[in-house]
Amino acid sequence: MSAFITKRLLYTVVILFAASLLIFSLYALTPGDFITGNIKLTPERKAELREIYGLNKPVLERYAIWLKNALHGDLGYSMAQQKPVLTLFNQYIWNSFLLAAVSTFLTWVTAVIIGCVAAYKQYSWFDTLVMVAIFAAMSLPSFFIGLFLIKILAVDWKLLPPGGMIATGSQATGLAYVKEVIHHMTLPVIVMTIMGVGSLARYIRGSMIDVIKQDYIRTARAKGLKERKVLFTHALRNAMLPAITLVGFELPALFGGSLIIEKIFNWPGIGQLYLTSFGLRDYPLLMGFTVLIAILTVIGTLLSDILYRVADPRVRLQ
Amino acid sequence: MKKSIASLSALLIAGSLLLSACSSDKGGNSANESANTPAASPTASAPADSGVIQASDLSKLPDTAKQRTDTIIVGLTDPSGAFTPYFHQSGYDGNVSSLLYTPLVTVDNKGVPIPALAESWDISPDNLTYTFHLRKDLKFSDGSPLTADDVAFTWTLLHDKAYDGDSQIPALHVKGGEAYKEGKASSIEGIKVIDPLTVSVTLEQPNASALTTLGSDVLSKAYYGKDYKFGQLDYIKKLHEKPVGTGPYKLEKFIPGQEVRFVANEYYYKGKPKTEHFIYKTSEGDTWQFLETGEIDFASFSATQENIEKLKSLGFVNILPYTPSTYGYLQVNLEHEALKDKKVRQAIAYGLDRQSIYVDANQGAGAVANIPSSPISWAYTEEGINPYKYDPEKAKALLDEAGWKVGADGIREKDGKQLTIHYLGSKKKDTDIFIAVAKENFAELGIKFEPEVFADFNALVSKVEGGDYDLASFSTPLLTDPADGLIQFVDGEIKGYDNPKFKELYDKGLATNDLEERKQIYKELFQLANDELPVIFTNYRKTVYAYNGRIQNLDVSPFNGIAPSLPDWYLQ
Amino acid sequence: MSTIGSEITKAGTAGTAPVRSSMWRQAARRLLKNRLAMLGLAVVVFMFAFCFIGPLFSPYTDNKIHLAQMNKPPSPQHWLGTDALGRDVLTRVMQAGRISLTVGLASMVLSVFIGSLLGAIAGYFRGICDQIIMRLADLLLTIPGLPLLFILGALLSEWKVPTEYRMYIVMLMLSLVNWPGLARMVRGEVLSLREREFMQAATVLGLRNRRKLFNHLLPNLVPLIIVIASLNVGGAILSESVLSFFGLGVMPPTPTWGNMIDSANNMIDFQKRPWLWIPPGFSIFVTVIAINIFGDGLRDVLDPRPRK
Repeated sequence: MSAFITKRLLYTVVILFAASLLIFSLYALTPGDFITGNIKLTPERKAELREIYGLNKPVLERYAIWLKNALHGDLGYSMAQQKPVLTLFNQYIWNSFLLAAVSTFLTWVTAVIIGCVAAYKQYSWFDTLVMVAIFAAMSLPSFFIGLFLIKILAVDWKLLPPGGMIATGSQATGLAYVKEVIHHMTLPVIVMTIMGVGSLARYIRGSMIDVIKQDYIRTARAKGLKERKVLFTHALRNAMLPAITLVGFELPALFGGSLIIEKIFNWPGIGQLYLTSFGLRDYPLLMGFTVLIAILTVIGTLLSDILYRVADPRVRLQ
Repeated sequence: MKKSIASLSALLIAGSLLLSACSSDKGGNSANESANTPAASPTASAPADSGVIQASDLSKLPDTAKQRTDTIIVGLTDPSGAFTPYFHQSGYDGNVSSLLYTPLVTVDNKGVPIPALAESWDISPDNLTYTFHLRKDLKFSDGSPLTADDVAFTWTLLHDKAYDGDSQIPALHVKGGEAYKEGKASSIEGIKVIDPLTVSVTLEQPNASALTTLGSDVLSKAYYGKDYKFGQLDYIKKLHEKPVGTGPYKLEKFIPGQEVRFVANEYYYKGKPKTEHFIYKTSEGDTWQFLETGEIDFASFSATQENIEKLKSLGFVNILPYTPSTYGYLQVNLEHEALKDKKVRQAIAYGLDRQSIYVDANQGAGAVANIPSSPISWAYTEEGINPYKYDPEKAKALLDEAGWKVGADGIREKDGKQLTIHYLGSKKKDTDIFIAVAKENFAELGIKFEPEVFADFNALVSKVEGGDYDLASFSTPLLTDPADGLIQFVDGEIKGYDNPKFKELYDKGLATNDLEERKQIYKELFQLANDELPVIFTNYRKTVYAYNGRIQNLDVSPFNGIAPSLPDWYLQ
Repeated sequence: MSTIGSEITKAGTAGTAPVRSSMWRQAARRLLKNRLAMLGLAVVVFMFAFCFIGPLFSPYTDNKIHLAQMNKPPSPQHWLGTDALGRDVLTRVMQAGRISLTVGLASMVLSVFIGSLLGAIAGYFRGICDQIIMRLADLLLTIPGLPLLFILGALLSEWKVPTEYRMYIVMLMLSLVNWPGLARMVRGEVLSLREREFMQAATVLGLRNRRKLFNHLLPNLVPLIIVIASLNVGGAILSESVLSFFGLGVMPPTPTWGNMIDSANNMIDFQKRPWLWIPPGFSIFVTVIAINIFGDGLRDVLDPRPRK
């Protein structure tokens, strides 16, 4: 096992270097740079500024400079925000993390429950209703659902706030602050959960249905085990196996922020920041963020694979 | 049995979606009435801006807004936290810094300079030296005094070689500025501190816009100059979020991505502002929901019939019509075979139905532009200006004259080349309208139209800079001085347009400070631009501000936004 | 339902031509009996007809602008009303469907094909093959999708690709970006399947690799692949609308369901003019649901494992 991990970690490092070079080049190749977008500047001033920012150097040289600094922990200053990149991350990522963590947790819990019950009562009215609801949730674009709910729940019925993380001008601290954030978080989390539950529940349901038909489940029942034990200890454990692969993918999503949700709900997350930075070509921020996500992705897949091996003894290690 | 339940449930879900959408369409269907009411065209002196439309029923104000007593909230798209003037990179940060700092000289609603921190100024007869007289007892927001030294420091700082902002001060050719920038001098020769309340600056060539450019915000030398070493400006980055200024408000708290909170500045030279707290709330996209739920007190909207009706129906907002100080234009690639010819450009101006595109299809939220100036500027005029009213026959005649004859397939050609126009636009509703109408207009003229839409502005500009386009839609940034709207024609930005007469007039316009004289010069310039069409002028926008009916004394300056009147706002 | 049975049948009846009930034919029969799935299929077929043949009956296909008619609600001349430029919404929905449907299908076919093939190979052969394919998948996964699409959009403009084709290329790129996820899922399934008894039996029988892969492994993968495929088409159609939200999809005036919803994406249109966004939204909704239901039915029917 440890040999496996070591080998994979080595591959990981190589991949990350290759990925960072590729990503840097892609950003550099994108037409336009940080100076281009500012139409107030004269051509000479533009040239001057490019000189100051080092944007007129060849791509590889710029990459080398960035890499050297990055390896020392210095991700540079955001050109548009005039602040260190790491500070910006700190300010925005945790907001995204909050949304992602809560909705991921709710998604999985809901999906497992729905999937199990639907599988157990396959072909019943509950099952069919659930299936249709799942399909419905999966058939609408997320921004559609988001805007729709804002309109109904926030503007018309005034139940929930239309956006933002706290009430404007609020001086709340401590518990009151927590309550306020929860109040504002409700709508985005609902939308994110609706979007995520659908496919996961269907997946688990399918898996559970297969597993329930297996002989060992029949054996367990024949042995006289309580139905609950059969379902949860035997069936679910085996049904979750293919789902394990999906856990690893959640890691980058937890920190990556959801561009659409954050845009619609004015949630101060890293996704929104990234979108703006891309339009501005704020290279230090873009690189810092993308490489962070790359690292998390690679760790996530590694985690997935390890979990898979640990969970399913039938899969041989090579 | 279960299958029919399934289909029934699917129908139910779909049906409920339909029902909820239809039921929301209660209150009157004024969509039918909005048909074709073209807006009144602007008169020569000022656009037909009516006054404020008062709120009809303040009791409809949402509770969140009713409960506020000493706080006013305005929406702002995306302040990023770099609040030091001259150093911020985004226009929104500029909005924030305009509340935190006061300039020496500001402008009134027509763009005429009026005193702010400087109570008066003198301009030497040769128009090269400006002397500013500061008011007595000016203080920064931390209580320290503001003197001429701070002014001199600010001007010097901006000449530093590492300065990476977009202030125009370095381009003014202050005497000795170049030497300082290159490190050859330790101070700028042309800047003289005469006494603690008087400072003068000398230019190498006259420039009328220098008054407002140099007379801009003042940075405290003690605070911003403490760690200053020539060529090292990184320390300023740390000060961005802790500004010390002279504006009506001080920064209380910045919550990234959410709010910028201000508190009234007791040291403000006009006295402490009436409303204790002010907040800029980050709000991207549709601000309707925030206004409707009372989360913000003030928002701006395009002046379409529908927006205005909807605002009226809210009942608790005052509506203030307003024309921003910018103009829209089609940048023309003057190196294009056909577009080199003035006749072809004029043909396009005649052949594009700008009235439909910018006014009618926009429900009256715009007006057609024909000169490089906004209608609210003191220099605006319509004398001797060709309005290029939509006239496809005239356009066709001009094209024929220019040698572009209609070919076999209906497309004009000359010397074997077809007349194609490659158009670049950025992704917005206006562009959709433009492309749809222009397609038809150009087809009638026999021009092949190839539109391209860019979601990414940067990529669009980059393509334009690379010369790979024929027409591209842009609008100018905020124009303060009439010269601002003309600078692109003389500084090399419009490649291929090099008219010595234009440059001569432009310089003349800046060489004097006499408003009447400048007005005449600009009239000539506008007539020249209107005839030659180095770019094709398209439109002015019309917007409305909607604000909480409780707010009194609200006024918006087209050049400075809400900052000048904000200290007087209060909630009834 | 392994094919060993049919192997024997083939061997034993070399001369005659018996009425064979192949797996596929039986499946088809069972499918026809599944009314829900048939409903799904019917809806999909109807949507195709609606979008591809419908416009032939419309007098408004030229998409001309009639500013006098702008924003009118449904009426006898315009069954679904008009949009902000006076164009007929019904015709535009049909024309939009053409693009959205084609794009959805093309993208699905490509990503499922690449993903399944690579995933199966990686999972089956393991070793170096597995490592290379999976590392390549990892590399692709680390590159963020959205910037890649932005960049691609800009590059396509540089290379002067006509605007009409750009969308297809973007969808192709989307599918090339999607395959790592699919490959991982297929590989996971293959890893479990190859240890099952029937695979061991195939090995014992001395069958060659290619035979094991195609005749035994793949049929058992078919249910998973079908589910993936049906989810994917829905996903692709939805991606198109998201791309429009960010301005990367097909640009107006060419209509797609996604950009029609996007143009109506403001408070006033949302509240006052539901005929602008309900038809495209509803079309997406109905099409994707129908595809998913049909896909589910297919899966039920093609699953070789014992049911009920």
